[in-house]
Amino acid sequence: MNRLYLFATLAGTRIAVETDEVEAVVKLTEISPVPGMGAHVAGLSALRSRVLTIIDTAALIQGMASPTRDAGLAIIANIAGHSYGLMVDSVSDICRVPEGELPLRGQLDRAWAPYGRAIVEQDGHPWLLVSLASFIDGGGQAQAA
Amino acid sequence: MDELLQEFISETQETLEALAGEVVAWEADPSDRDRLDAIFRFFHTVKGSCGFLNLPRFERLSHAAEDVLADIRAGKRGADPATVSAVLGLMDRIGELTEAVAMGAALPNENDDYLIAALNAPVDQPAPQVQAAPVAVARQAGQAGPRTIRLPLSLIDQLMNGVSDMVLARNELSRKLRERSADPELDNVFERLSTCVADMRDVISKTRMQRVERLFAAIPRMVRDLGRDLGKRIDLTLEGGDVEMDREMVEMVVDPLTHIVRNAIDHGIESPEQRRAVGKPEAGALRVEARQSGNQIVITISDDGAGIDTARLVDKAIGAGRLTPEAAARMTEADRLDLIFQAGLSTADQVTSISGRGVGMDVVRANVERIGGVIALDNHPGQGLCITLRVPLTLTIIPGLVVRAGGLHFAIPRAAVVEILHDNNAMLQISCIGGAQIATIRGVRHSMIELEDVLGMDRPAQAGPRAIMVVRSGSGVPYAMGVAAVDNHEELVIRPASPLIMATGVYAGMTLPDNGQPMLLLDAAGIASAAQLPTILDDQAARRTEEQADAQAGVEMVAALRFEEITGEKRLLKLALIDRVEDIDVGLFGRSGDQAYVRLDGRLITVVNGLSQFDRAKVSALRLRDGTQEACYPVAAVLDIVQMPLVPDMVAMHGILSGVAVIEGEHLEVINPFALFASLSGYDMVEGQGGRCLLADAEDGWTREILAPLLRQAGHDVVLGLPEDGVIDPRDVLLCHDGEGSKVAGIMAEMTGCRVVQLRASPRAAGPRDASIYRYDQDALMAAITAGQG
Repeated sequence: MNRLYLFATLAGTRIAVETDEVEAVVKLTEISPVPGMGAHVAGLSALRSRVLTIIDTAALIQGMASPTRDAGLAIIANIAGHSYGLMVDSVSDICRVPEGELPLRGQLDRAWAPYGRAIVEQDGHPWLLVSLASFIDGGGQAQAA
Repeated sequence: MDELLQEFISETQETLEALAGEVVAWEADPSDRDRLDAIFRFFHTVKGSCGFLNLPRFERLSHAAEDVLADIRAGKRGADPATVSAVLGLMDRIGELTEAVAMGAALPNENDDYLIAALNAPVDQPAPQVQAAPVAVARQAGQAGPRTIRLPLSLIDQLMNGVSDMVLARNELSRKLRERSADPELDNVFERLSTCVADMRDVISKTRMQRVERLFAAIPRMVRDLGRDLGKRIDLTLEGGDVEMDREMVEMVVDPLTHIVRNAIDHGIESPEQRRAVGKPEAGALRVEARQSGNQIVITISDDGAGIDTARLVDKAIGAGRLTPEAAARMTEADRLDLIFQAGLSTADQVTSISGRGVGMDVVRANVERIGGVIALDNHPGQGLCITLRVPLTLTIIPGLVVRAGGLHFAIPRAAVVEILHDNNAMLQISCIGGAQIATIRGVRHSMIELEDVLGMDRPAQAGPRAIMVVRSGSGVPYAMGVAAVDNHEELVIRPASPLIMATGVYAGMTLPDNGQPMLLLDAAGIASAAQLPTILDDQAARRTEEQADAQAGVEMVAALRFEEITGEKRLLKLALIDRVEDIDVGLFGRSGDQAYVRLDGRLITVVNGLSQFDRAKVSALRLRDGTQEACYPVAAVLDIVQMPLVPDMVAMHGILSGVAVIEGEHLEVINPFALFASLSGYDMVEGQGGRCLLADAEDGWTREILAPLLRQAGHDVVLGLPEDGVIDPRDVLLCHDGEGSKVAGIMAEMTGCRVVQLRASPRAAGPRDASIYRYDQDALMAAITAGQG
């Protein structure tokens, strides 16, 4: 196991994402809101000729829209044939982790439970390994419930 | 190895699809050697490849089939229905297995022996099924396909995206260029680049095209199987398989088409006994035809079965509480037929496994409309039903309106919008009862919603009036939607939105306009259901009665523009004909021979009053349009809009004038629009004498605004639309345009014995047998109308 991971902070929590899932990280410029949706869909944004659905991941986890929606960073991912942008607070690094995934220890907060999968160690800190697809699939379910 | 397997799977699946029709055709004509060979080759190929790929089950199945087919080829046994069924069964199993392999799932472990045994059943044993019901399939032209290569779809999509990026980049570049000082050389180069990009986009979008044949491939098999199950005999004719349409569109049409064909066989075509009893041939005719018409694909599905029993529909609707008996009594036949599109209404008495699965025509219509299509019924009770689907050539580009609401822009398909009014319009009255908003437009009450409320947005205060759109939802009940403004009309490139957004139910997709700001496409039906609007039928017939009463009450008045000619006279021109009024630079006017013209938007437009010299720098001009032709009419000044009687107070036709009308104590000459447009084609006016003229295309602008006034002035009694009571005198003349209306007209004519005059928009006849008349050929038109009335 010598995989590449992207390390970022999201809603104040350190997260890691497998780079296979990540297409790019971009700085968002303009987001057109989608009325009638929950707070977790921040809106649509154009990336060249593609239209991204921007997910306010912090809102998904904390249930509150994040205050600075414009000019934030977003991880671009292609999930089930559609392009999404998942908003994150900051992105710190991309690097290989020789140890790979470590099993979760402790009880995850309920808000994080649908997304966290494992732990990845880097720089002596644990990073919560999340799957981007779970924000899309899980998000829909959370909204329906 | 993986690649080989992938290749094998896609090839097998494709061949299977193509072969399904062939097998059925072969059954109808077992002596058809070519088809037999094609099927044999398929099994042979499968056998060969799967031995190599180590797929033993495939090998066994295909080997068994190959043996039997070889016997048939050698003439040792005949292709009886039981054998064909068994071969079909094997093909199905191979299809299932292929799918399983493709998905990497475990192979479904069913008993292949049973299938193989069925294949080898003794030939002399009578077939257990009902009398053989072979389906005759019209043979399509030999397919010597052009050379092709196979490409993954994702590659084409990537190409498409690349080209879209290029277009956006070009747009931005052109904006930047415009900001700078003009450099002709640079402009030239840019122009060339621009053309290349546009060409490229066209070509790339062609790669997405697919032959409709693929849509048809599954039909013969379905018809055969259904016919067998139901004991019905069906003659199937497929035509137009070589028409091409967007790949995605094909996918979207499969379901509605399948449903309609199932319906036709299950409910439309009667059993052989019933058919014999009513004197029809035992085998029902089912015809599926595709053709391209402009930027639309028209698919017609016609059968010669029982048609739709509208009386039963009405009973059901009343029974379901959708309709009051009084309203039902006032409904026209077309309104009644429309009931079939109401959710949960069906003429089928019981739910059958074939088509009565709770999926009704309402779903078919909703699906067709969602892709910007239209569905139309032509019902002949007892003689058959013809369903016409009109769908756009590509899924991705639809004409849409851009509306503003809550500070955002949204798009809505133009086809969904029936009319647009401002909320200060006198014809509109909005009232609020117990929280429900009701918009009354010309005596018809519509449920009214504000788009901002449905989407949960704030409604900022605005200076101007709001726009109210009458929108037709999927269930066919129109409603009024209030938006801040209707901004624009554009051809929109629509892409699917992410499932997360689609799940709201109020959006149908999204689009990226040139300004780079993504925009959502509204789903009219979804909004209606999100707002929980009632779906009770509105009393359309009542409205019509009222309208007629209004019309008969007084002299019919129309809005007209009062203007001053360059020569000083004050004249009137019907407002509906005027596209817009604009100030035009006199330098754009010119003259060739005795024809004056003006250059506008890069085109030459005829100046109908023949003026080309003016004593000022800019001149006001009326831009006129009759639906297809454009004309320009320079005037000295536009005065105001007044109401004038439809028929002038004094009829005096000469030149471009039709008479004199008295407006507010001033007598004004009225311009004859017919003469105006007729002069474009070089025809003059003559007068005619006549009786009653029925104009079939009452909705058509040209018919209302130009043809009807002309006929009225010529002394004819004009009826717009077919008379409600259906009473048509054999002396009447029915005028209609070529196309859809003419078919109905033809039937009307046969029933009543009246004459039909067909008009066409192009000066040239479609062929030697085309009896229609060019619509501005006044001599011929008048002659045709008066011919039988002497």
